[in-house]
Amino acid sequence: MIAFCFRRLLWMALTLWIVFTISFFLMRAVPGGPFDSERALEPEIEKLLMKRYNLDKGLGEQYRIELGNYLSGDFGHSFKLTDYTVNEVIAEGLPVSMALGLFALLLAVSFGLLAGIVSAVFRGSWGDFSLMLIATIGIALPNFVIAGICIVLFAFLIPLFPPAGWGSINQLVLPAFCLGAPYAAYVARIARTSMLDVLSQDHIRTARAKGVSPLRVVLVHALRGALLPVVSFLGPAVAGILTGSLVVEQVFAIPGLGSHFVQAATQRDYTLAMGLVMLYTVLLYTMNWLVDMSYAVLDPRVRLE
Amino acid sequence: MPVNPRTLIGWSMLGVLLASIAWATLGTSLPPADFTFINGTEIKSVDPAIVNGSPEQRIVTAIFEGLTRWHPETLEPIPALAESWEISEDQLTYTFHMREAARWSDGSPVTAHDILYSMRRFLGPRTVAEYAYQAWYLKNARRYSLGGRGIAPGDKVEVELNLPVDAINTLRGELLHGKLVSIEEIADTGEREFVVEVDGSEQRFRPTDDQDAASNDPPTGIGWCRQVLLDFREVGIEVIDPLTLRMTLEAPTPFFLKLTGYYPLFPVNQKCVETYGSPLWTKPENLVTNGPFGIEFRRIRDRIRLVRSETYWNRDEVKLGVVDALAVDSYTTGLNLFLTGMADWIVTPPPAALRILLKEDPPRNDLNPTPFLGVYYYMLNTNRKPLDDLRVRKALSLALDREEITTKIMSAGETPCLSLVPPGIEGYETQESFEENPAEARRLLAEAGFPEGKGFPRLDILYNTSEAHQAIAELIRKQWQRELGISIKTRNEEWASYLSSQRQMQYNVSRRAWIGDYTDPNTFLDMFVTEGEQNNTGWSSEEYDRLIREAGHEFDPDKRFRLLEKAERILMDELPILPIYFYVSKNMVKPYVRGFYNNIQDVHPLWAIWIDRENDGPNEFMKVKARP
Repeated sequence: MIAFCFRRLLWMALTLWIVFTISFFLMRAVPGGPFDSERALEPEIEKLLMKRYNLDKGLGEQYRIELGNYLSGDFGHSFKLTDYTVNEVIAEGLPVSMALGLFALLLAVSFGLLAGIVSAVFRGSWGDFSLMLIATIGIALPNFVIAGICIVLFAFLIPLFPPAGWGSINQLVLPAFCLGAPYAAYVARIARTSMLDVLSQDHIRTARAKGVSPLRVVLVHALRGALLPVVSFLGPAVAGILTGSLVVEQVFAIPGLGSHFVQAATQRDYTLAMGLVMLYTVLLYTMNWLVDMSYAVLDPRVRLE
Repeated sequence: MPVNPRTLIGWSMLGVLLASIAWATLGTSLPPADFTFINGTEIKSVDPAIVNGSPEQRIVTAIFEGLTRWHPETLEPIPALAESWEISEDQLTYTFHMREAARWSDGSPVTAHDILYSMRRFLGPRTVAEYAYQAWYLKNARRYSLGGRGIAPGDKVEVELNLPVDAINTLRGELLHGKLVSIEEIADTGEREFVVEVDGSEQRFRPTDDQDAASNDPPTGIGWCRQVLLDFREVGIEVIDPLTLRMTLEAPTPFFLKLTGYYPLFPVNQKCVETYGSPLWTKPENLVTNGPFGIEFRRIRDRIRLVRSETYWNRDEVKLGVVDALAVDSYTTGLNLFLTGMADWIVTPPPAALRILLKEDPPRNDLNPTPFLGVYYYMLNTNRKPLDDLRVRKALSLALDREEITTKIMSAGETPCLSLVPPGIEGYETQESFEENPAEARRLLAEAGFPEGKGFPRLDILYNTSEAHQAIAELIRKQWQRELGISIKTRNEEWASYLSSQRQMQYNVSRRAWIGDYTDPNTFLDMFVTEGEQNNTGWSSEEYDRLIREAGHEFDPDKRFRLLEKAERILMDELPILPIYFYVSKNMVKPYVRGFYNNIQDVHPLWAIWIDRENDGPNEFMKVKARP
């Protein structure tokens, strides 16, 4: 177990370095720089700016300096939000994205699992059919369409929730629902498939034969096995959901990391974009790692090597 | 019952989940603001010297104040930090008498020294103020802000010495004053050494950054320095006494008093800037301001909460106590917030919604599009064939149906235009290009060697990615195809690439727009002088340059306008650009908001606004009749 973790850590360092290198050179290969604006800079002033951010040096030299900064934990100042450091931007945005993401995840997992189990148990019924239809629609509809429908329904027609903003529980409901809906749909479909698979296995028949109550068979004996595929789907999904979604955050004006992600790239905010890419990499990697570990917890047959 | 460790893990995870949601959302509910507006994208900074966008302008004007401020309706400069002023006969010297009651938010008085300090900081090359040229009307200001490029042997100069690496980054190094003897290029490196006579002895300085200066000894006989630049005492700004300031200009500048009320020229607090350094001084807990409002807190991409300043000299006339500026990027979200009463002012609804909102019957009482100083135009790259041929440029302009563009695509009553300078500047007569005439266009194109468009190269129209720009480009493509028989492509690039393509002149035809910085034709016309930084067309005319230069030295406002009119005439005859339409403002303002005026620059100071829920007639915003 410890050797496993140690090896994973080494791989993570390697992955981070590769991601860092690729993003660094990709970002600088794109035409346009962070100081391009509609009003041209005086050459003198541009030179100073370039010097301040080390952009006057060769690419290799810049790369060396920036890698050094990252190793010492200094992500630098944002080029575009000049009053903030990259660390501050992340520190303000990440909790918001995470809170929204967790809430969305909670909705996604509970609705998804419930729907999946019900569909599997009552396989072939009208309930199964309509639940899976909803799930397919949930996967097919893009976020912003769901968001638009939700806003029209629950902010304008039936004014239950505010159309946007952040800070109170009722401002959390609509965005969390819209963010979680596609994940709920995926979870439902995966849970159904794996549940059907498990339900046909020998140990379930044995449990039934022993006279275990049907509810207990489904929730204890079958569910545990059926959870594995759901968990492996959730790992990477969690990383994505926690770092925020551009669309949902824009539509609901939520101050999370999602919009930074896209804007940093389009505005050539090299430092902020790099910080976010690295953060995402760490999260994604950690979540996959946790998923691998949770296999061992959920399924006694799995050994970590 | 024995506790299963796996169940325990499950429950504890659920617990963590709920706790974190509670932590992220509880305790953040805010008391509501008196006035909430959508400020667009997150601002770059609150430092007046380094920002240049509209969202920044709204915040900076709320928290800082200059020598003058703009009347919210007419935009005429009115007294602010300066209580009164005198202008010399030759219009070159302005003497400002400052208000005794003006205070910084830390309680200290705002003095002429603050203005001097801020002006030096604004102009200093190390501040990297993109808008520094707004202060180049001051004598020698341009040369000062050009640093080492702005000086020549014989000039009085100042040498700024290096500071230790760990010094506060806003402090200036020790200054040596002297006379520049010579500038010597160092072979290979392209760097320069400055020989300066200080106290009767010649010394040699080489500019370098603090890091290098601290870790390396300079070569013998040379001293490190941060920079060598014009002696700031040569710049036309002078403190007579703590409450009297004299500014001397390069040339008569009729709009100078408007510039002193323009946000890049606002003063900042020296003590605050130099105690905390950049960017820490801009944190709400450190920031010292002198405007009608102060910042209570900032949340990135959420809001800036402004509260009325208790130290502002005119605080009794500021009606709003708490103002929220929401950072909302999406127009649709802004409109949703406005319609549900969560915002009182939005700068623009989404174009598609605007069309519907304008058609409502009875007409809405919160929407009143009004023309302002902004123009949308296409640039032509006159370095490329066949756009170097005036007949071709003329043909392209004559074949445009601008009316079709404004009625089919634009929705707020934008007006088709044939001139660069928008109407509305009193005393100035805009110079128009030729009206639409497809037959003449075809004739000209044939004359230029492309009868019925045959042999015309497949040019492309460059625009930055946006639905509206795309729709216009497509329509223009069709119009040219229809009238001239030429086939054109469209090409979109996202913002940064688009700007760099224009700068490097890698385009044939490109969309562009310009919003006037001040109410004067010069803000539009001086873009197109030879080598002008906005003139990415390759076009140049000596006569045009001469007229703009002469206008800059003309004392008589009438004669000055006549010169500028002549210049615009040349531009509209030669057509390196094709004007397409003039902008209109698209604000939506709740009927209970008072003191909000439609004006020609679409700026709306918060200090003039108040809330009057009993109001049942049209407010100031609706009173100005929109153009039919």
